[in-house]
Formats: sequence, C-alpha cells, structure tokens
Amino acid sequence: MLTYVIRRILILIPMLLTISFLVYTALELTPGDAVSALINPEVASRLSDAQFAELREAYGLNKPFIVRYGIWLSNVMQGNFGHSLAGGVPISTIFLDRLPATLELSLVALLFSTVLGCILGTYSALKRGSITDSSLTVVGMIGVSIPEFFFGLVALLIFALNLGWLPVGGRLLPGYETIWDRVPHIIMPAMVLSLMMTAGVMRYARSSMLDALTREFITTARSKGLPEWRINLLHGFRVALTPVIVLIGFRLPLLIGGSVIIEQVFQWPGIGNEFIGAVRGSDYPLVMMIALFSVFAVLMASLIIDVLTALIDPRVRLS
Amino acid sequence: MLNQISGIALAAGLFMSSAGLVSAQAINDEPLSDPRVRQAIAYAIDMDTIVDTLLEGKAIAADSMLPNGPHKPAGLNAYAYDPDKARELLAAANWDSDRELDMVYYYGDQLTADLMAAVQAYLSDVGVKMTYRKLEGDVGAQLTTRPTNPVDGISNIDWDLGYGAAAATALQEYYNPYKTGGTSHTPGNAELDGLIDAINATADPDAQRPAYFAIQEYWNTNLDALPLYYQQLFIYESNKLNRNGHGYGNEQYNYDFGIVDWTMEPDANGKQIMYTNTAPPQFFELPWANLGIWITSKIVFDKLLSADGSLAVNGSQLAESYSVGADGMSVSFTLKDGLTWHDGSALTVADVEWSVKTALRVPNIHAVVANTFTSIDGGQAYRDGTSDEIAGIATDGNTITFTMSKLDPNMLLTFTQFPPLPMELLKGTDPIELQQAAYWQNPIGSGPFRIEEVQMNDFVRYVPFENYHGGVAKIDEIVAFPSLDGDGNLLKNAGAGKMDYGFTKNVADVAALEAMDHMRVIPADIPYTRMIWFNKFARK
Repeated sequence: MLTYVIRRILILIPMLLTISFLVYTALELTPGDAVSALINPEVASRLSDAQFAELREAYGLNKPFIVRYGIWLSNVMQGNFGHSLAGGVPISTIFLDRLPATLELSLVALLFSTVLGCILGTYSALKRGSITDSSLTVVGMIGVSIPEFFFGLVALLIFALNLGWLPVGGRLLPGYETIWDRVPHIIMPAMVLSLMMTAGVMRYARSSMLDALTREFITTARSKGLPEWRINLLHGFRVALTPVIVLIGFRLPLLIGGSVIIEQVFQWPGIGNEFIGAVRGSDYPLVMMIALFSVFAVLMASLIIDVLTALIDPRVRLS
Repeated sequence: MLNQISGIALAAGLFMSSAGLVSAQAINDEPLSDPRVRQAIAYAIDMDTIVDTLLEGKAIAADSMLPNGPHKPAGLNAYAYDPDKARELLAAANWDSDRELDMVYYYGDQLTADLMAAVQAYLSDVGVKMTYRKLEGDVGAQLTTRPTNPVDGISNIDWDLGYGAAAATALQEYYNPYKTGGTSHTPGNAELDGLIDAINATADPDAQRPAYFAIQEYWNTNLDALPLYYQQLFIYESNKLNRNGHGYGNEQYNYDFGIVDWTMEPDANGKQIMYTNTAPPQFFELPWANLGIWITSKIVFDKLLSADGSLAVNGSQLAESYSVGADGMSVSFTLKDGLTWHDGSALTVADVEWSVKTALRVPNIHAVVANTFTSIDGGQAYRDGTSDEIAGIATDGNTITFTMSKLDPNMLLTFTQFPPLPMELLKGTDPIELQQAAYWQNPIGSGPFRIEEVQMNDFVRYVPFENYHGGVAKIDEIVAFPSLDGDGNLLKNAGAGKMDYGFTKNVADVAALEAMDHMRVIPADIPYTRMIWFNKFARK
C-alpha cells in the first residue's frame, strides 16, 4: 500500500502543473484584468492610457502571458505564493485568516451531515416501506432539490429576524472572543450547509444498506442465529459504508473551497467568499492559489478514499 | 481679480454666442452627431413616467447636467415626452430606420436592466431600434478609449449609446471631461472648450454663475450627453441614533456631520454602540479616490478643512487657520498645535507635504484633487516625473503654503476632502503601489475614531481617539460590517437591529428600510446625474 500511496502522490505533481496551467489560461481568456477591475469606470474615464499602462506595469500585467505564468510558477515552487493584486495582502496571510473560518464551518457541517445522514439512511433502510421511510425519502428529496441559499434565507428570516434566537451573520460579534461566543454564529450556516449534505448521505446510505441487506452473507449471518442488531450494524452497515465513504470523501474539498453560497448568505468570512471576490476582480494570484489548493484537496481526497476503502473492505486491494 | 473679470467677460460673450445658435446638422457620417437625432431621443423617453414608476418617485427628472440650484438658468427645455416631435426631428435628420443603436451600461443592478428595457421600448415607438448590453471585463477601456484625432477622428469604441453617471464633487466636473480630447464619444470643439474654460476661470461662485448659465444653454440644445435624472441619496438611521442637531449632506463625500456629538441609546451593558456598514472585505481603501464612500474615510482620517453638507468650506479641521491669497493663487494652512496620529506620533506639515507629493504620483486619485495638485506650481512636472521638486510647496514651522501656477476654482474644496497620511508609516512605498502597503490592513489616522479591531471581511471596531483635537466622541464604539448599498446584507443587518447609520442610492433599499419601524430614511439631493452618452465620432 505504501508504494501505491507514494506513486499516487508523485502523479499529483504533473496533474497539478497541468491544472494550474489550464486555470491560468482560463483566467487569461476572461475579459479585463486586475487594473480594470480595481478602478471604477467613472474614475477610469479620467485616466490616460499612459496611467493605465503605468498601473499595469506596476502590477506586472504588461508581460506576456507565458512569462507571467512562468514567474508565478517559479515563485510558488519556491514557497512564495505571492500577494493579492487588489490589496497587496500576502496570499499566505489570506489563507491563514480565511481558511480557519471555512474549515470550521465545513467540518461542523460535514460531521453533522455524515452522522445524521448515516443514522437516518440506515434506519430508513431497516424500516423500508414504512411511513418513516417514506417521510425520510420525501425529506431527502426536498433537501437535495431545494437550493441551499433558499434554506439559508428562510432560516435567517425565521431564526434571526423573526425569533431573534440567532445572529444574522458573521463569524463573531465584536468584543466576544471565546469559542462559546462563536457557537450561535455557526449554528445556522452549518445546519443549512449540512441539510443538503445530510439528504445526500441519507439517500446514499439507505440504498447502500438496502443493497447490503440482500447479500448472501447477511442470509448466512441470520442462519447462524446472530441477533438482528449485530447483523445490521456489524455486517450490513460495514459493507454499506463503503460507497458512503466515497461520497463523503468527495466532499472533503469543501474544506478548502468552502461553500460559496452559504458564506455569502451568512456573511461568513471564509475562503469561498474570498474566491468570489478574487474572480470578480481578476486577482489572478489569489484565484490561482485557491484553485490549486482546491484541486489538491480533490486529488488528496481521491487518494484517501482509495486507502479508506481498502481498509474497510477486505475485498479491495490497492495496486 | 483679473481672472474673475476675464471669466465673467468670457462667459457673457459665450452666452450671447451660444444661445440658440447650434448648427442642426451632423458633423460627420454618424447620425448621432446630428443634434436633431439626440433631441429626438430626448423627446422619445418619458422620464417623468420612468421616475414615477421604475424609480418609485425617488429621483428627479433632469433638464441639465447640473442639479437644481442657483447655477441653473431659467427656461431650459426639459424635453418633456413628445413622441410626435421626436418622429418629426428624426425625419428632418433623415434617420435610417434600419440602423440599430447599441447601448452599453456597466451597472449590475436589476433597476438598470429595467431602465434599459424601458428606453428600448420608448425608442422603438418612434422608430429607433436599440439593443443593450452590460459591459464586462475591461469596462474602463471599452468606455473611454479616445480616438487618435479628438476632433475629426474615427471612434475607438464600439458602442453608440452609453448609460452612465457623473457624481460631481465640484460642478465643473460635469463638463470638464468634455474638453477637446477628454472623452471617447464627443468630438472636441472650440466653442465648448471656451465655455468649459469660463466655468473654471474663477473661484467666486457669483462670478461663475453666468458661465454656468452659458454652458447649460449650449448643452440644452446640443445634448452632447442627455441628462436623464438626478439621483437622490438616502441616509438611513435607526431610532437609537441621535445626531444632536447636526445636519445631513452629501454622504458620498466628507462633510462636517458632527459625529463627535452623536449619541446612541445605550445597550444592556450601558455602552453606546453604533452599527454601520462599508467595512473593508480585504483591505482599507486609500481615501484619495472614493473620497467619502467608506466609513473609515469619514471618521479615521481628518482633513485640513471642513465642509458643510453641500461641500462648501465651513471651517477647519486639522488646520488652526487658513488664508487664501488675494488673487486666489495661493493658500496657506497653519496646523493646530499638538496634533497627533492615532499612534501618538506628531502630525506635522511634513506629513501634509509628503501626502500631496505622493498623491501626485498615484494615478487613480479623485479628479478634483488631481486638478488642484497639478495646479500647484511644479505639480504637473512632478506628476509627470520630469521633476523631483515642487516649487509651489513651502513650509515654515507649522504652516504650509501652496502656490498655484494656474487658478483652480476648487482648491479649498480639495482640502476639505483630501486627508494627509502618516509619512513615517508609508515613506519609501512606491506611490503606484501605495494601496498594496501593509498599512492598509489597519491604518493609523488622525480623525475622531481610531481602529481598535479588524476582523477582515467580518467587522471593524472603531473607538474614540482619546487625543482628538475636536474633543472625544460620545459614542463608545462604532462597529462596521462589510455590506454596501444594494446588498442584501444591509437589509438583513438593519432588520436585526444591527444597522444604525449609513446611506444608499438604491431605491429598493429605501423601500425596504422605510418599511422597518425602527429605521428612518432621509433623502438628500446630491449632484449625481444619470445620463446617456452619444458616440458622435465617425465609425471605422
């Protein structure tokens, strides 16, 4: 397995290089640049071409595309992630500032949705055809099909504006610094984010569990007279977990990319919000680094899924 | 005085020559260069109905670039909706009904899209086809790339009509860009240049008036750009805020709004906390371009002078006193004794001098500020990089004097809006990269509030500056969130009681805020004119 993991990690390098070039090219093809995004049109109308050229020179935007990409890549390989073109903030600082907020939100949502989704999905499968199963199926379909921003707005209206139980947004209230002060702020965004994820996990867990329960080893276990809970949880659920883990694994990149919509609805100061601003502002060093980290997260998640699958399911062998 | 007299004479002469003497014909092959076509478009659009419906009555139909006030002459043609007249003018101009006009705009709000649809329908009704599109990408270049020849040149832009706005700090700003070579869409002409020179020829408002009358008379017939409506600004406050008698004004700029005296209803802990918006998402903006948009520009940075709500000079801020030379060609400021920055270091004339010099080499500073500083003797050469000294700046003790090489009618206005920055914290920074300095993560200023805590993209806390020269502010804390006008977060925060003060130009915000019992909305007439630009240059 170690050889397999090392080989997979080595394969990441050319993949990351290729993807970084594609993202950089895509950015280059989008209209406008950081200078045009930074200066509003009413101010721009008063600037001369020479002043624009001066600004572009200062931002390093006058160089040919391939030279700029080469400089960026060289810097990144030396550990220099560069700085945001908009405000000059080092990208490492932006990551350090924003990533914890996104990780906090995503981890809570991921944890909550995984546990709840697995429990409800398994329960639904075990009670197949019952009113509970049907109800959970309907709830699951609603959760999957209604966009999260809608849930977010409804939650805000009810719990923040009408009932006043929870804050309308932000990560922290001024003057409050302990971890407990953060709890009221994270409840709504995390719950809304996890709602859709829970529905997905639940649907996956249900069908996977139903599939597992029809296997021969379950029949064998029953014929041995094992208690039902043991059959379901130790034999059925363990097998059913494999596809669920794949699904959860592919959600790991959320930890980096964040949930852009939820961060915007709840004014959550995470990296997803930053990414939107960077794309709008053609802030290519920032877009590149966030995109690269997201891609890295996807590739790593894929590796982790393979390893976990092999650990859980003895039939899977990595080679 | 000589300048004033010559200004009046020039204005009077131009007034006589311009009234009603517009040649009603195209100046090139482009039909939009024919004033009759532009007038027809003006007659075709029912601005009164648009104001009443789309704009919910929260704007004023415009009859001039200048807002209503003493500088507007009587009897301007308001181009009241008259589709028959529009058709008549189009026929006289031999309008080709197969021609399809391309209208561009750059605002992302729904109201603008609705307005475009309405204008399209109105024009269609008189036989003018029009399509519209929002500019994306390098909007500045698409809007403003000027032709090589600014008089008879071939257009370097690919649109026919452009929807935009002018937010003027000084009234001259409405017309100054139209001087020959200044725009991408209006060919230069000597008559207009003369009218523009006349409004800039004196700093005396009474002497400026005839020149403003003349240029508006000219414009009213020529319609080099079609003024559509005057946008209002709306200041909103919660019922917990008390301004204690201080008035309202143009919140997009800096004026003496008396925040030191404001009070808030104390919260459960007895603290007076005021919530507002315009906190930065990633960095604090250099306050030399968008002069008063951000709360930080208003309360963290003091200026040499102060202005009233209409931006007329009404006193001093950092300056103890100031004096203007008899010919209007110099101004001296003596700073108050013992001024300090928020970090306790001394604020001196060296900071002021350094700030002016640095601003000259920052490309995107506000036009009024740039015009004042390049009018300083040696300022233009310093800006161009052909000189490293500015002869027109002299310091003596606590006094700094600026001597102009050309008269700038808005010299004092500039010093009500331009905040000096701390030289010691920024020196050595390339002016072009000034905005990238680490300073802008937590700037040190000189105003009545200092920054206490920054949670970037979450909130900023401001607390009173204990050594403020104008007395310590009564409010214990100001908390700003990173929302702007037209942003759902503004209304959400207001609904939750976390928005006590701010301003918006978005009529949807206004309707929602007015529906909240705990909020009040105060309209303010500001010099902000929405208009349609006509590309009158010949096409490739």
